[in-house]
Amino acid sequence: MEVIRHLFWLLVFPGFLFTVILGLYACWIVRKVTALIHHRIGPPALQPLYDVLKLLGKETLIPEAANKAVFIWAPVVGFASVLLLAILLWAVDFIPARDNGMFLGDVIVAIYLMVIPSLALILGSSASGSPHAAIGTAREMKLVMSYELVLVMAFIVVLIKTATFHGISDSQNDAQLLSLSSIAQYTPALSISGLLAFLAALLCVQAKLGFTPFDIPEAETEIAGGVLIEYSGALLALWKLAQAVMLVAFPLFLVILFMGGIGTGFGSVLLGLGKYVLVLVLLILIKNTNPRMRIDQTVKFFWFYCGPVMAVAIVLAMLGNYYDKWWL
Amino acid sequence: MEKLLLTLIFVPLAAGFVLLFTPAKWKLLHKGCGLVISVFTFLAAVKLFTAGKIVFDQPILDIWQVKLNLLFETNHLNTFILLFAMGFGLLISIYSLKDASAPRQSNFFYGALLLAVGGSAGILLTGHLIFLLIFWEIVTVSLYLLVITGGTECRFAATKSFAMLGASDGALLLGIGMIWVLSSGTFQFTGLGLPTDSALSIVAFLLLMLAAVTKAGAMPLHTWLPTSGECTKASIMAILPAALDKLLGIYLLVIIVKEIFLLQSGPLSFILSVVGAATILFAVLVAMVQHNLKKLLSYQAIAQVGYMVLGIATLTPIGIAGAVFHMLNHATYKCCLFLCGGAVEHVSGTAELDQLGGLGKKMPWTFMAFLVATMSMSGIPLFGGFVSKWMVYQGLVQMESQADPAAGFWPLWLLVAMFGSALTLAASVKILHSIFLSRKPDHLRNVREVSAAMLIPMMILAFLCVFFGVFYRIPLKYFIYPALNIERETAIMGSWNSWLAVIYLLGGVLIALLIVLLSRSLLKQRSVPTWTCGEVQPNDKMIVPGTHFYKTISSLSPFKQLYHLQEKEHFDLYNHGGKIGLLFSGFLKWLHSGLLPVYLVWTAFGLIVILTVLCNIW
Repeated sequence: MEVIRHLFWLLVFPGFLFTVILGLYACWIVRKVTALIHHRIGPPALQPLYDVLKLLGKETLIPEAANKAVFIWAPVVGFASVLLLAILLWAVDFIPARDNGMFLGDVIVAIYLMVIPSLALILGSSASGSPHAAIGTAREMKLVMSYELVLVMAFIVVLIKTATFHGISDSQNDAQLLSLSSIAQYTPALSISGLLAFLAALLCVQAKLGFTPFDIPEAETEIAGGVLIEYSGALLALWKLAQAVMLVAFPLFLVILFMGGIGTGFGSVLLGLGKYVLVLVLLILIKNTNPRMRIDQTVKFFWFYCGPVMAVAIVLAMLGNYYDKWWL
Repeated sequence: MEKLLLTLIFVPLAAGFVLLFTPAKWKLLHKGCGLVISVFTFLAAVKLFTAGKIVFDQPILDIWQVKLNLLFETNHLNTFILLFAMGFGLLISIYSLKDASAPRQSNFFYGALLLAVGGSAGILLTGHLIFLLIFWEIVTVSLYLLVITGGTECRFAATKSFAMLGASDGALLLGIGMIWVLSSGTFQFTGLGLPTDSALSIVAFLLLMLAAVTKAGAMPLHTWLPTSGECTKASIMAILPAALDKLLGIYLLVIIVKEIFLLQSGPLSFILSVVGAATILFAVLVAMVQHNLKKLLSYQAIAQVGYMVLGIATLTPIGIAGAVFHMLNHATYKCCLFLCGGAVEHVSGTAELDQLGGLGKKMPWTFMAFLVATMSMSGIPLFGGFVSKWMVYQGLVQMESQADPAAGFWPLWLLVAMFGSALTLAASVKILHSIFLSRKPDHLRNVREVSAAMLIPMMILAFLCVFFGVFYRIPLKYFIYPALNIERETAIMGSWNSWLAVIYLLGGVLIALLIVLLSRSLLKQRSVPTWTCGEVQPNDKMIVPGTHFYKTISSLSPFKQLYHLQEKEHFDLYNHGGKIGLLFSGFLKWLHSGLLPVYLVWTAFGLIVILTVLCNIW
């Protein structure tokens, strides 16, 4: 029974089928809303799926200078890791809290799993041996470095807020602090520091997804696709699928961390989906109203502008914790 | 069993000492001797690990209040570290068998190696502070001997390491003296538990801490590590600074915090936290801009010590357990990284990053081991380094419910630790790109994979990195928890179901492979030249070296000045110490003018001072 349950989890719900379909649908929403902003009609709902199927039928080109093994394995591992992340995050919402054996990991694990797709992309592009890809590699890594600082700070705000809500004073409750399902019980975004942290984390997710203004590693007009320049055929299709799953997993992470998660009842699922769509629409709006930044501007933006703001948010949250004011 | 314990320590010491004086040409003897003795010490360590508690106590000297006992005792902590220390010794002697670029003075290399192994065994097993100090010195000397085998260009590095480690050993001696006073005349540290309430005990704690973190390579006395890393052979870096020194330094730190002192004072744990956090952030920032492989690895090694110090500074069971586990993981992956670096240097003749590239295709095994070890170091889930960092983070989060000054700053420590891990990844990506991925420069066309004797140690270490990551409960259960007297399953507060994650990950990989294979797109694969927009360029012109990856950051405003100061070696206490030493010796020189009247004046002055003091006493 256990095996079948795990297989179902992996293949159907909330694993491969569910997440990929939802992700492709989210891709369509991104393109449709973008089109609406541009006063275009936009593609039909199945267009992202057609794109993937079309790519699967194409031949795969592999550069002569490439390290073939890494070049091929990178999208495979990238896809698998982001699928794992999605399952971990869905499990928080759909598994009753007492069934601890099913929990893959806590919030720190989730943050670290979120790095693996970027890492796979970096290794794959570096393995392709193209100078364009090498520049993309460097940019992707710098991008990771720049937003990781802010993401960790936002995570710390959430930790402090969770501690405040719990009223934790003894170490027995510490276990609750890191568990995603207990974090999902609260909505830090309703406090001042939590709202600041949410906005900053939203920008980090924007960068993680490679959306404008942070599409610097791909930058079609400068380095012709950068990290993805040498990818084609089925391998490119895998990257597209991985991006679709990311489009589910990363906003879901924000919903769990800042907006109280999704929950299990019918009403709360609807509400949860509403939260997810809200995050998605915010991402799309940022994407369509900003030009691409340069990498040095991005590093400065995250470290020297978002960083101090988040430091203020952390101090506010700690004050709130100290004086027991949840809205701080 | 007691005999085994004694032979484990003194046979390598004696053999190492004898080997030093054999002719350099007897390479076969040196190699054979090194291998046989390291096999023996490893087996003996296994035996000691599985045996129960052994105590060997032999009074040697008993004059006035000073009692000198040759005291060795085993417990869970020291036998487990001993097991790994001897294991690393064995792997290095296997690796060096085929290492053609091994130093010409193989008598020095193997002699010092055995001295280091024996000395470490002595440090770990002894329960007496004076003997700890003696063995500690032996390891310091053996590092000097190992570094000096690199030839004339290594003399500076050898002297610098010896001076800095020697200074910290001086601090250790002073600290031990203070402990002797504080504990009213005992040198045995097991269960000593001195309170840290008086000024003397705080100073003693700080002195011992300085010795421990210097050996481990944390700030402020860290600069001996990159300096010796730059010119020393990689196998030497792999055994001493990367593996044994870390084990010993962190062992001493754990002993200080858990056995010798009862750490109640908040300021002390605050100082430890600052040392840890500063080490992580500063060293990893410097590591990012290095151009030499071994120097970069050395700076990363320094940064990782920060995690161990920070973990111990949390004073929570899980933080300390995480620190000890990170010490184990660190020794494993760092040793592996240096061995791989040695292999790269062996085949290409250089460790400069901008002259390498594309070696992953020709050296797949070295690449694989290196990749696994860097992933472990950067804290990627499913590798060992992740678990221990994760435990340290949990210790930091647990500080939330404590009420001392260090705990109040827990968000800062957590931020530095987690952000430092991203920067570590950045430095690792730079190495991976520059050496193994990217494009192969034309002069490396004939490179070949290294021999099996060099590959096997790397493979074993890489396997351990994965094993400690996936089945992390096993080392925790058998090594870490018993060593620190932590009850099982009580410490970890987070959840990380690593084996389930592996299954899901493999499932995901299978799905992805199925998609690719079913589409048959790979069957239609075609090999094409790199897309260069129609421009035809020679291969060497198309290489984008990893050394330029982080120019964006090193030319940003505050970092630019920081890197400038770093390049001028303003953060190197060795230089400042040297300047103070020169001033002092200049003063002495000035006093020794060679003029008899001046000497007479000084003598008269001294006489007056002594007389005044004596009169006052009477």
